[in-house]
Amino acid sequence: MPEVLQRYEAEIWQAIGETFAMVGMSILAAVIVGLPVGTLLFLCRKENLLESRAVFSILNLLVNTIRSFPFLLLVVFLIPFTRFIIGTAIGTAAATVPLSIIAIAHYSRLVEQSLLDVPRGVIEAAKAMGASVVEVVFKFLFVEARSGLVLGLTTSIISFISYSTIMGVVGGGGIGDFAIRYGYQQFMTDLMIYMIIIMVILVQCIQFIGTTVARVIDKR
Amino acid sequence: MIQMHDISKRFADYEAIKAVDIEVNGGEIYGIIGASGAGKSTLLRLMNLLEVPDCGEVVVDGKNLMTMKPKQLREARKSMGMIFQHFNLVANLTIYDNVEVCLQLANYPKHQRRERVMECLRFVGLAHLEKQYPQSLSGGQKQRVAIARALANEPKVLLCDEPTSSLDPHTTAEILAVLEEINRTLGVTIVIVSHEMEVIQSICHRVSVMADGSVYKTIELEPKGIPDVDHTPEYFIEKLTGEVSGDA
Repeated sequence: MPEVLQRYEAEIWQAIGETFAMVGMSILAAVIVGLPVGTLLFLCRKENLLESRAVFSILNLLVNTIRSFPFLLLVVFLIPFTRFIIGTAIGTAAATVPLSIIAIAHYSRLVEQSLLDVPRGVIEAAKAMGASVVEVVFKFLFVEARSGLVLGLTTSIISFISYSTIMGVVGGGGIGDFAIRYGYQQFMTDLMIYMIIIMVILVQCIQFIGTTVARVIDKR
Repeated sequence: MIQMHDISKRFADYEAIKAVDIEVNGGEIYGIIGASGAGKSTLLRLMNLLEVPDCGEVVVDGKNLMTMKPKQLREARKSMGMIFQHFNLVANLTIYDNVEVCLQLANYPKHQRRERVMECLRFVGLAHLEKQYPQSLSGGQKQRVAIARALANEPKVLLCDEPTSSLDPHTTAEILAVLEEINRTLGVTIVIVSHEMEVIQSICHRVSVMADGSVYKTIELEPKGIPDVDHTPEYFIEKLTGEVSGDA
């Protein structure tokens, strides 16, 4: 192992841990909140099961607004909110707040798009069989859209990794922050390149897993 | 079995169904025929309220669907099967699971589900394909699965929306034979929407001819039986050239 990596081994492991913590929380938020929000966006569309112009417009505006923020600005803008939720605006835990919010907005849009790919006829058949809205969602929509949902989550996770690199501004740490502080600001270009390599490997692995899972569960 | 009284349906500024009265008797095979855009499919979809009429009454098996609460309507739909031109199977579920879903929705007793699913698949002759996915089936086989799914919860009525319109003549005959058998042996009332003359003539007891959103006339029929379609090379040559080909 290169000498520079050995020298900073402990810090690097800590940075990797921070990245995993931030991205992990983002994934959790995406699945627990983003999936229902995206499903609601889909269901509230015109001529859909829960057609509601009001709900759709509000959710749509909210998702668009969050996604149109340059992420760095969103982090700064949310500082008072983060302080309210976590008690502090600094550190890895605080960093998960803006990350979770962008994660929800990001994934919910991809969920909505995946569900739009489900043939209308399948929903018709479900309704004709007497399925309730909840049953249509769980027994038909999610089943038929499952590989799209997995691919969407994969795309989202990779974006979350990218977003997490910015979190150094609020002391969130992580690999990206480490690469900038040690690699860039202390002129250890080789260290920066090693960090980039770690990120590339991480993204490759996630994409490979996502693509494989999506292919295996796709029987269409 | 199904009474529709003074039903109208308007889409935006287009009047799809104009004050239609129709009565389907229990145990019959009822056809609805007409040109594209005549309102056939819309009329069928009004029978289980997939489309909600602007006015009028839909009574199925003595119960008025129009006055039902959403939960009651869902219960009523469980005793009405429906099949479609494009089958509408769940592509990510096996053949077995596609049929079982209907029983799950109907809260069919768990320990009897497997038996019932296999019974339905045997009825349509596809029990051996239970573990396959729809993607690997032919059009005719997919429609059989859809029929098995529609039958699983022992419906009183089977609504068929252009059930053979994307199938070749031979497969059409097979599907019609299945529908005819369902009507004859299980006593299920069947409503078939089709633009194909042969489909209506072969198995329907009565037919309504639709035009421009109205029922033009309802006619009693003597079902002609299902045509014997045998696609030998000789058949095609004879059809194409008018000559009976011998041993050329």
